[in-house]
Parts: sequence; structure tokens; C-alpha cells
Amino acid sequence: MSAQTGKPAKTQDADGPLSHDLSGVWMQYPQGDLPGTPGMNTVNERYRPPLTPWGQARLDSARPLVGPKAVPGEENSPTLRCDPDGPPKLLNHPNPFEIVQIPGRMLMFFEEQHIWRTIWADGRPLPKDPDPSYLGYAVGKWEGDTFVVETIGFNDKDWADAYGDPRSEQTHLTERYRRLNHDTLELQVTIDDPKSYTKPWVSPPKLHKLEPGWEIAEWFCAVEEDKAYDDVVRKPAGVAPESNKK
Amino acid sequence: MREVKDVKEVEEKIARVRLRLGGLSVPQLPLLPQPPSFPFLRRRFPDIRLAGACALIGVVLAFAPLHSAQTSMQPETPKPPDASSQLSHDLSGVWMQYPDGPAPGVPGMNAVDERFRPPFTPWGQARFDAAKPMQGPTAVAGQENAPTLHCDPDGPPRVLNLPNPFEIIQIPGRVFMFFELGHVWRTIWTDGRALPKDPDPSWLGYSVGKWEGDTFVVDTIGFNDKLWVDVYGSPRSDQMHLTERYRRLNHDTLELQITMDDPKAYTKVWANPPKLHKLEPAWEIAEWFCVIEEENAYSDTIRKPAGGISTSPK
Repeated sequence: MSAQTGKPAKTQDADGPLSHDLSGVWMQYPQGDLPGTPGMNTVNERYRPPLTPWGQARLDSARPLVGPKAVPGEENSPTLRCDPDGPPKLLNHPNPFEIVQIPGRMLMFFEEQHIWRTIWADGRPLPKDPDPSYLGYAVGKWEGDTFVVETIGFNDKDWADAYGDPRSEQTHLTERYRRLNHDTLELQVTIDDPKSYTKPWVSPPKLHKLEPGWEIAEWFCAVEEDKAYDDVVRKPAGVAPESNKK
Repeated sequence: MREVKDVKEVEEKIARVRLRLGGLSVPQLPLLPQPPSFPFLRRRFPDIRLAGACALIGVVLAFAPLHSAQTSMQPETPKPPDASSQLSHDLSGVWMQYPDGPAPGVPGMNAVDERFRPPFTPWGQARFDAAKPMQGPTAVAGQENAPTLHCDPDGPPRVLNLPNPFEIIQIPGRVFMFFELGHVWRTIWTDGRALPKDPDPSWLGYSVGKWEGDTFVVDTIGFNDKLWVDVYGSPRSDQMHLTERYRRLNHDTLELQITMDDPKAYTKVWANPPKLHKLEPAWEIAEWFCVIEEENAYSDTIRKPAGGISTSPK
């Protein structure tokens, strides 16, 4: 292999020097929207392109729990009724995820809502007319040292971020993963959703840290628990629930 | 109270359970009436040993790392690690219950078999009385209060009981189960770790698994008491110790036998007859989330016995 150049043999990976093993539990570096907070900017609102009229109407009707548009008491985030979270919002939460690679597939396990997702890496193309779904249909392949995940087939029920930015069924999501070194995973997210946005929404890369001692815990969204939690902690108004359950 | 204090106690508890079950050897459980289609399946797969031996070749090739991890503590010997192994130790694939459920042609609903339910404790009876299932003799139209109706997460053993497929994936140190229902996944640790001493109550519990001969034995504790064990409202307390025994009888058939030891809810151990699952090589687990709005509409129009009117016309 190295006979032509006479250089020492490279690593067994002929494509480049970075690892093609993305497995492990990953957590965002604390470089979020607020100092010291992780997450919330893998999909970065500062880079959001202008909305289409449809997108604007959707954003206007959204009542998020956080951000400048939050109105206490009027929150209508899908999360409040425990609707399933999907990409890209799922990637944006300040919670860890685990990647497991098996032949033909990459699996992602998110602590948030205990959601798992399949990324087909067996060479299959994207489906032509997928049913709209919360997670979409994802295929991935290596381009050099970057694992590129393409997802289509979303429904328009989930938001793209915690601020109420819309995700239409025309969304084509691209995630680019690079393992910069043993401890660091880079993720760059691009949202191409012509129904919601006038241009592709390209977010800057976000770094994740390997957490070798962590295991993804069970965290389900259960409506009753979630309501109590929302009332006390998550909603800006922070009103205690009337029923004092043990 | 038979609370789990340490690993040794857990092991002793499992041993006690086995003792009570007479050294549980599932196929020979004498008292179990077999569902009508069971003899048919036996006829259809008469020589499970031959098929298992063929499958063993596959498992040695496909799961050498997993297998060697399990046996790395043992001295090297020329013979296979488990000389009695006849069946495959590769459980991976998408599995669907055979249509031998409570009603003819219906899959599922009897991996946990109500006919074998032991008497309740007073606590268990109170819980059962409070349950208003969507089906079965205690169902009352309009009063249904199944946790499923508000999309609470499903967990074992109930999630094993529903007539929907699941996929098993084995990687070193872990077995994953992916259930189509509710898009639930669960981890079974196979890295030799012990059950935790004082786990937080959870929907899925904390699971460890190991091979005993050709049977993959999964022990789970640490459940919460919010979920039922079946669709009929039989309770699951936080003291439940669940044991699942998986055997791949041949390439196409997975056997699952479920035992529940829940002294808070039941006066005896609840041992169920084995339930067969068929490999579905062409299936992929689809996305099926429980979503409150959709669920309400679906329940009102289809699932509730009364079959009432949809509440929210759009």
C-alpha cells in the first residue's frame, strides 16, 4: 500500500486519519445558548434563514417554553403533551445520546424521551414516498472521514428547535458527524425545508464529548409526571399544581 | 417483605423460584394445557436439534466476539465452551408471536397468560379492582383507565404480551430489544454485572441476562407500579422480579417463557407456559409512537368496547 510513496503505512483506514467508529455516549460541550449550558444550538437560531409565509404562520402560532417568544400560561410545545421528539430537535436538547454501530445500521439512543433511531448504512437509497413520521427515514454513509446522515419523511408536528421554529414534511435534514479525536465528536446540521424557510438553514458545527462512564438512563415522558414537572419547574410562570400528589 | 438486599439474596431468590417451579424446565412443565396450535407447531418443527446444530455453525461465525467474551475466564479447551449446546445463541432478528393467542388467529396476549395467574394479595386485589381495562371480563365501556390511554410508556412484561413484533440485537455486553409498540427499546446487560441493589423504580426496570445452557435468562427488577402486567389490569408492583427465558428452538422459532415473582401483588409465583415467536426476516420495526391526540381519536372510535364518538372533530 505504501510502496509508491515510501512513507510508513498509514492506519488501516485508507480514507483518512480519523476514526470511523462513532460508538459511545456523547454529551454536548457546555457552549450552549447561555454560558455553561450545553445544547440548544446544534440547530442554531442565529443562523435561521427568513421564513416562508407558511413557516412564519407556524412560528407565530408556536408558544414555546423558552426564548423571547415564551408567554407564561400559553405554552403549546408538543413536548407538554409528551408528543415524541424527533430530529433535529432531539439533537438540540442538552441531554446525552449513545451511538451503536452494527453492520448495515447505526443506532442512536437519546436519553430525552428514551427515543431510539435507526440510520440505515447498508447502501439503501432514501425511500421515494415515505409516510410522514416523527423520526423520519434516515440513511447514512461515509464521505471521507465524515459520516453523512440524510433524513426525509418527517411529519410537521414536531418543531425544529425549542423556540418553535417549524419542521415541515418537506424537510431534508443532513447531519455530518466527524470524530475529531477519541474524545470529541463534531456534528453539523443542515435543514433544507423549502416549505418553511426561504434558504437552507446551515448551523455551525457543535462539539460533543465522549462520556465513557455514562449509561443512558431511563427518561420517559409520562403525561402526569410531565405536567407536574412543567407546572413547577419548566414553565416560566412556575405555578405549583393544585393536586399535591406524593 | 422479600426485598432485594444484595446480589446473593437475588441469586438465592432466583434459586427459590426455580425450586418452587420444580427446577423449571419449560418444555416439560406438566400442568400446562397447550394452546390448540401448539401441537401443530411441534409437528411442523419436529427436529429442532438438527436445525439447532446447523444454526450453531452460524452463531460461532457471527458471534465469536460475544461468545469468547463469555468464556474468556475459562481455560482453553479443544471442545466447545458448552458441550451441551445444541441450539443457537444468536437471538437476533425480528420476531412475531405465532397466532395462538387467547382468541383463534390472534397473536400475543398470552406470553403473560391470565389463566395461570395465582391468587392476589389484598394489595394486588385492590389494584386489580381499580383497573378498568379495555378488554376482558372486567372491561366497562366508558370507564377505561388503562395507562395506555394516556400514552404512558409500556414496559415488561406487558410489552412482551402485546401482538406486535420486536427485534433483538446482540452486541458485546448487551442485548437490545426494540418493540414496535410505543417505539420502546430496552437494554439487557450481559457483561456479567449483577442486578443493582436499590434501583430507582422505572417503567422498564433494570435487566441483566446470561446464558444457562441454550437458554438466555433475563432477570429484571426495579419496576415502578404504574403499569399493568397485561391488558386485563393485573398489577405490577415495585417488588416484582421478572424472569424471561429465551430459547431459539430452530432458525425460525424463538421460545419465550415468563415468570413473575411479585410478592406484593400475588401470593405465589406466576409462571406462564412458553410462547412461540416466528422469525420475520423481511420485517423492519416501523415507527409507532403513542401520541395523545391520535390515541384519543383511535381509542374513541376503535379500541374502546363502546366504540363511541370521536371527541375532537377537526
